[in-house]
Formats: sequence, C-alpha cells, structure tokens
Amino acid sequence: MKKSFLIVRSNIRKSVGQTTAIVVLVLLSALMLNLWLMLATDYTANFDRYHNKLNAEHVTLVADENKDEFKKFLSKTVENDSRTSEYRLDNCMCAESTFCYNDDEIFTDNSIFLEKQAAVTRTVGKIEILEEGNETSGVYLPLVFKNTDGVEVGEQIDIIIGNHKMTYTICGFFNSIMMGSSNCGMIEVVLTEDKYTQLEDMGYAPQSTLCSVRLKDKQDDISYETWLSSAVLEDYPNIGVFNNNYSTVAQARYISQMVCSGIISAMAFFVLLIALVVIVSNIINYIQVNMKNLGALKAVGYTSGQLICSLLLQFLTLTFIAALVGIVLSYCLFPAINTMMIQQTAIPYTMRFLPIPLLATLVVLAVAVTFAVWFASRKIKKIEPIDALRSGIQTHNFKRNHIPFEKTNAPLNLAFALKNTMSGVKYNITVFITMLVLSLVIVFSGLMIENVIADITPFLNLIVGENSDSSVNILTEKEDSFLHAMEDDSRVEKIYLYTTLDVSHNDGANLMASLCDDYSVLDNQNLIVDGRYPKYDNEIAVGAKYAGEERLKVGDEIEIAANGKKFKYLICGFTQTSYNLGRDCMLTRKGYERLGELTILNYHINLTDKTDIDAFNQEVKDKFSDSVIAAINLKTTLENLANVYVSLMTVIVIAVLIISAVIIVFVLYLLVRTMLNNKLNDYGIMEALGFTSKQLILQTALSFMPTTILSVVVGLVISSFIINPLTALFLSGIGIIKCTFTIPILFIVIAGIGLVIFAFVIVCALSLKIKKIAPRALLSGE
Amino acid sequence: MKEALIKTEKLSKSFSNGGTMQHVLKNIDLQLYKGDFTVIMGASGAGKSTLLYTLSGMDTPTLGKITFEDSIISDFSQDGLAVFRRDHCGFVFQQIYLIDGMSVMDNVLAAGLLVNKDKKALITKAKELFKAVDISEETQKKFPTQISGGEAQRVGIVRALINSPEILFADEPTGALNSKTGLDVLDTLTKFNRQGQSVVMVTHDIRSARRGNRILYLKDGVILGECDLGEYSHGNVKRHQKLSAFLNDMGW
Repeated sequence: MKKSFLIVRSNIRKSVGQTTAIVVLVLLSALMLNLWLMLATDYTANFDRYHNKLNAEHVTLVADENKDEFKKFLSKTVENDSRTSEYRLDNCMCAESTFCYNDDEIFTDNSIFLEKQAAVTRTVGKIEILEEGNETSGVYLPLVFKNTDGVEVGEQIDIIIGNHKMTYTICGFFNSIMMGSSNCGMIEVVLTEDKYTQLEDMGYAPQSTLCSVRLKDKQDDISYETWLSSAVLEDYPNIGVFNNNYSTVAQARYISQMVCSGIISAMAFFVLLIALVVIVSNIINYIQVNMKNLGALKAVGYTSGQLICSLLLQFLTLTFIAALVGIVLSYCLFPAINTMMIQQTAIPYTMRFLPIPLLATLVVLAVAVTFAVWFASRKIKKIEPIDALRSGIQTHNFKRNHIPFEKTNAPLNLAFALKNTMSGVKYNITVFITMLVLSLVIVFSGLMIENVIADITPFLNLIVGENSDSSVNILTEKEDSFLHAMEDDSRVEKIYLYTTLDVSHNDGANLMASLCDDYSVLDNQNLIVDGRYPKYDNEIAVGAKYAGEERLKVGDEIEIAANGKKFKYLICGFTQTSYNLGRDCMLTRKGYERLGELTILNYHINLTDKTDIDAFNQEVKDKFSDSVIAAINLKTTLENLANVYVSLMTVIVIAVLIISAVIIVFVLYLLVRTMLNNKLNDYGIMEALGFTSKQLILQTALSFMPTTILSVVVGLVISSFIINPLTALFLSGIGIIKCTFTIPILFIVIAGIGLVIFAFVIVCALSLKIKKIAPRALLSGE
Repeated sequence: MKEALIKTEKLSKSFSNGGTMQHVLKNIDLQLYKGDFTVIMGASGAGKSTLLYTLSGMDTPTLGKITFEDSIISDFSQDGLAVFRRDHCGFVFQQIYLIDGMSVMDNVLAAGLLVNKDKKALITKAKELFKAVDISEETQKKFPTQISGGEAQRVGIVRALINSPEILFADEPTGALNSKTGLDVLDTLTKFNRQGQSVVMVTHDIRSARRGNRILYLKDGVILGECDLGEYSHGNVKRHQKLSAFLNDMGW
C-alpha cells in the first residue's frame, strides 16, 4: 500500500491541472447528488414530521352545516368506522374568498375560517403559530402568504368573502399541514375571537363544520375520504361538502420540490457521466504517456494489480475529497433552495445533518469511479515490461494517414485540425458525450424559457388546464339572464361553462370532474392525451394518470357516483390536468345531470384585450348581486400562482446554464491540457518550422470543432424529440402524461451555435499556453 | 565580394541559472555570407547551438542586434520570428524532430504549405527533393517511426529545403546517426551547398566540419578565430591539415 501511495503522490504532482478539473466535476456531481437526496428524502419527510407534530388529520371534510343533529350524525358515522383512529369536529365558516394585498390577488374556492383559540388547541389538525406581533384583533394567515408576496405582521389585508370585502390587520402567520396553501384544496384562515364573532354576525360566510379524521392506516385516506363524503351527502344531499386527503395534499404541497429534485438528479447523473468519461479518458492517456514508466515499474517487480490499485487509490482519494467538499457546499446552498421551495410548500424546514444522503452520495460516486478506473486501466495487465520499455509511447496507429495534405483541398490550418481530430479518438469521445449532454440541457433551458419564463401560458395550460380572463360563479336559476347580459356586452369575446365538482368512481377514489357544454370551445385543446373529449351524455374522459393506476382503457365502461346516484359512462379519452394530481375526469353538462342538478355554475369569460378585468367583474357582481357567488380575475390569480414556478424555473435555468458552462470549461481544460502535454514536441517542431502561435491555437481549437458541431447537432435534434416526454416524466407525479411544450427552434439553433462558439473561444483561451512554448525549449541545449 | 546574409552586432545571450546569470554569448560581431557552408565549432558548452538558434530567430538575443538582409530580426515578435523562419530559414536538427503522427510526405508538405500556395508545384518539388536524397515513393507514405534514422534525417533535410530557404541551419545533423548514414547526410548537405544553398552547421565532429568552407571557432561565448578552407573536395589532404592546424591553434 505504501508503494501505491508513492505512485499516487507522484501522479497527482505531475498533473495538478488535470486533477483539478476532475475534482471540480466530481465535486459538482457530489453537490447535486447530495442536494437531490436531501430534497427527495428528508425534505419530503418534513411533511410527515409536521403532520405528526401537529397531529394533523388524514382526511378533512368541511360541510356548510353545523346543526347539532348533523354533528351527531357525523360523529357517529366517523366513530363507527373501524379505520378511524381519532377525530375532531369544530365550528367554522366556509366561503369562497379573494385575498387582496400588495396589488396582488389570490382566490380560493374554500376558505375555512376558524377562531384562533380553537385552531391552536384542536387535538387533531391544530395550527402552529410561527410568527405573531402585538396585534390582538385581526387575522392569522398561513405562511404561504408571507413567503409568496411578503406581507408582514401589522399590515392590512382585504379579504373578499363571497361578495363582501373585509379588512383585517395581520396578527401573525401559522403553519397548517392540511389547509396551509391553496394547493390543499382548502385554505385555513384564523381570526381573533372578536373578528370571528363579527364575521359570524355578518353572515357573509355560512356556518360550517370542520371534521378532521386521523386514520389507523394513512393509506386508507383516499377511500375513506370518498366514503365519508358519500355518506354525508347520502343523508344530507343539499349541503355543500369539501374535502381533502393526506396523499393528495402531501403531493400537492411538494410539486416544486418534485420538479426541482427531478432536475437536480438528472443534472447530477449527467455531470457524473461526464466525470466518468473524463476519468476514463485521463487514465487511457496516462497509460499511453507513461508506458515506459509502467514497463519499468513492472520490470522492478510491481504487479498489474498494484499499478491498477494505485490508480484506484488516486482517483478514489480525489473522489472522496471532492465529494466531501461538494457535500459541504450542498449544505451551504441548501438554505437558498429551501427559501425557493418554501414559497410553494409553505412548510418550514430546518436544515440538519443527514448521514444517509451523505453515505449514499459517497457510495454512488465510489462505485462509479471504481468501475471507471477498472474499465480504463485493464490495459495495464497487457503491458509486457520489455515491450513497454522498448516501444514506449504508442500514440499513433499506422493504419491510416488521415487527411493527407497531398489530396485534401482544405486550408492548411483546417487540414491540420482535421488530422488531429481524426487521430484523437479519446478526445472525441469525451467531447461528444459532454456536448451531447449539454445540448440536452440547452434544449431543456430553451423549453423552460419559452414555455415558462418568457410566457407562462403554455405551462399554465399544462398544469392548470383551461384558463381564461374571468371566472364567474353564478346560481343556476340566474343562468339565462346572465348569459343574455354577457351576449350583449361587447367586451365579452367568448363565454362558456366550465365547472368543476367532485364525483367518485366505484365508491373508491374521488375524482374532480370538469363539466362543459361543448369541449370544442375550450381555449386549451391539449387536455386530451388519448382519444377525444366527451361529446355525448354517456361519455367520460378520465385522468390519464388515474386510468393508468386503475388499468382503464378507452372504450371501458366505468360507474361514476355523485349526489347518491350512479351512472355508467363510456371512456372516450384520457385527460391530463394537475388540478387533482391526475385524479380527474371530464363530463358533458348533460352527462353530469344524470347524477344530479347543478345548483352553481362556473362560467369562463374571455374579454377583449384592453378590458379591465377587475372592473368587469365588479360590474357583474353589482348587476347580479346575490346571484353571483364569486367573480374572479382568473388571469391575475393564475399569474400570481405561476410566479412561484417562474421564479423557481428562472433560478433552475440560470443554475443549469452556469453549471453547463463550468463543465464545458473544465472538460475542455482537461482535454486541451492533455493534448498540449502530449503534443508539446509537435508544437515545438511546428513553431520551429514557422507556424505562428496564432496558427497553432487556431488548429487546436478547430480540431475540437468537428466533434463539437456533430455532437451539438445530434444532441439538439435528439433532445428536441425527447425533451417533451422527458418533461412529462418529471411532471408525471402531478398527473402530466404528455407534454406539448413548443420547442423553441430558433432559440435552440442560436444556443447551439452559441455553444459551439463558446467551446471554440474556451479552447482558444485554454490554448494560449501555446504562446509559452518556445521552439528552442524542445531542442537539445548546450 | 561576398554578399552578407546575416550580420550581428555585439550579440549577447545570457541565461539565468539558479539566480546567477550565465553569459553564453558575449558581444559577437559576425557576418554570414550567401552561398557559404559555415561551420561553427567549439567545445561542449561553448555556445554553438545558442549562437545557431539566436541567428536563426529560434531564440532571441539578450543584447545586440541581428540583421537579416535589411531586416533587424532581433526586434521581431515571436510570431514575426516564426514568419521569418518559414520564409527564409530551413532547419535540420540532431534529433530530427519529424512529427510522428504524420506521414513522411505530410511532414514535408506541412512546412511547404506554410509558404507555397501552389500545391501541385510544391508536391513536384517535394518529389524532386526526395529523389535527390534517395527517399523512395513507398517511404514517403510511411510514418517517421517506420523509417531508419538516416532516412529520417534525409527527410528532415527535404523538409528544411522545401521552401528554398536563403539559409539552412543544421545543428549536429549527424549526431544521432551512425557513420555510414551520417556520411550520406553530409553528402546531401554538400550537394545542396554546391547548388548555391547557404548552410550554417554546428558540429563538434571534425569529419563533419571538413564540409564547410568557413570554420568559426567559439570558446566561452566569443568567436576565438575563423578559418577559410575553400571549397570542399573529397580526399583533399591539404585542406584537412589546414583545418586540423586551425583547431590545434584554437586549443581543440
């Protein structure tokens, strides 16, 4: 072992530059691997930790009814089910609300208003106050409000409850696991006792009952949720019921984490792949250059095993050092990532030391590097000491004289460069793989810039499904007069029914059903990924993710239940929206009416370009007063919702582009350095013959270009084909099966050219060392 | 009256060696003439190769001036010197220095294409030169590691002459060769010199030195003396005796 250490020390001393480049690549890989593992394991587990800490429920049900008789019924129903572990019923108020502050608006379908003392002391599903001031009268808001828009304790906030505006002072912020963000399906709002009583007295929000149930087995949450809402609606068909479950909320609150960790993991493995290719290339070059030394070592008694072992020791030592530094850096970087994530999760996370991700990172890197070293150093076994000592370096095989000057019409510098390209297989492989991977990163970045950062609409179309300028909830009885008024209004470009409500399939899962009179009028015609939209009243389009889980096919018949009624529908297509994380379906209005009457309708309205949406909504509210339950500026609401994703994606794109640039620089540095070392003699001869440094730099840079251009072109073309399926894979957790983002061809072409030019400039810069090569130095001195 | 190709004025070259300056060339005033076969001799460490490489623009002087025809090449930048070398000089090295990754023909054309744009004419010239030094067409296609040392040095001479340089610099061209192949190389150089090619050769081998018509003897960085031998002719004993006497005087 001591002998191996001597060789390792000598090797590292001889190649400080190359060693640094490999260390940087392994470090980047370790950094991202550890970040990914931290996000994928402990960060997600943080939800469960808080869920347990706050003794949160697995199923939440809110009913706009709070009579004692109803409560008794609910208690009895819950108690009698063997799956129930514990439960809690509380009085609350429930209403659609719009939160207005800092020029922003957030609309929620179901705001659950609770009195502070009750919220804090609930035995099941209590809140945790995270920040509070001296104010004694006002509102406590979920942490998401502070994170997203930066409202502070002591500031005022307007909450439009139904159609009534209330102004509250913000007393503090809290964490609620199952109702802490709009992604939960319902959002908790806590009022001080006086404000709660005031709201009760005003009657703006119906008195309701909040039922929070903890289950013995949390895996029963979806079926329990469906069963409980069905049971309630069976006995109380005329009340409004809203519910959520543990699985859906756990996923919904970690969408950004899922997207982010997916991208980081992909980048980590890409960088690791590049690092391994570089290590393999480095070892093959080491064996070629040191053939005589290796022969000499074998001649004095070193075994092949010892020589391979020394290489293994060398690279594993570097890997461990680089990995540990990378892991430390990942801990330095994590708070910034946490700050981004928390804007969407709205669940506080305290960073701590995580030994398992650390060990996993080290093991993955060690195994990968060991394999790479073994793969590259097998040739050492074939070295015969005498042959190695006699023949020394075999850098060229004499099978072919590539690009003979006699025959080529290429200019001299290009011909030289092509000769170098053709004879440098290991350089070509390394450049090809690196540029191929980075082309994918370029295409991904272009896709995100085009479809998320520059214009969020495609992303919203994918995530949200259908969106429009305004969304108006109106009582069914006023539908005709409302539609007449809208038809007469010149500002209205298009109006169509698009209502969502809950149904259940086979008494099992709750599905969020979207209803429309005619799906051909939707702005977003990409919601169906297979088959078609429902046309007839016996047809249904089912969420593709749910269909996959339930093994449903187009043409199958499924039984859907709502309002205590059941009906069999024919599956005509599969849809994808992330409203309910893939558990969705689409019916025609007439199709739904087989299960019950619609009491409230939601109309989407597209307005002419210069129309003030808020002013239009206010006019609608004023005109139809109590018949309009809510009129929402959907555009602003979605933009606010999307801002989290835009800022997250901006940071991710900037980060991956910077990492890509760093990778290019270090990989090319390593290759150019190796090339200059190997060809030092040739460069000296050529300078002696009269080649200028500029010519040699140009030749070196040009020699990398054929492979760079080829791999960039191949990479961009392949990436353009696979990027949408790959993005869909990242988003599959939220129900996305098929991604139809626009591929920004122009951006990709320009970025591809930019990538080639960047590589060219970097090689030129790295080759400046040629200027220091004096022809005199290679000639034997006095 | 001979026409001077290269002139030096107070040419000095010093190297820093472990913190102390080593003065290798000291105030050398020298003229090299067109058509001459100049031989620079001296003991090991006298500064022969340093003088050769400084004269040829391969290295720069520490002090002094070097003029080639009307150009002061000691003022040239590195790239300027590279252009000067390609346009006016040819080099034959002791270690030959062919590029292993290129065929024999490509090694010659690599230098030729730097100056000549007419590739057809260049290839014709290369083939003539190869023929002149007895390198077969088959050998022209081989790689440097596949040919003998003598063949490689003759290829080196072809490469040095491909651009018809005004002056050919040769640094111990026979130093790495056996006596037979060394003789072939010297014959080749003599042949081209007779055709008008100016040659400057560094050697410490008296047999090689006999080929020159002008012998410069360098000692401790200064030219101690010079000897005019006249045109080389094989078996000219008088000429050989004159050289021996000169070298004896110089303390050889």
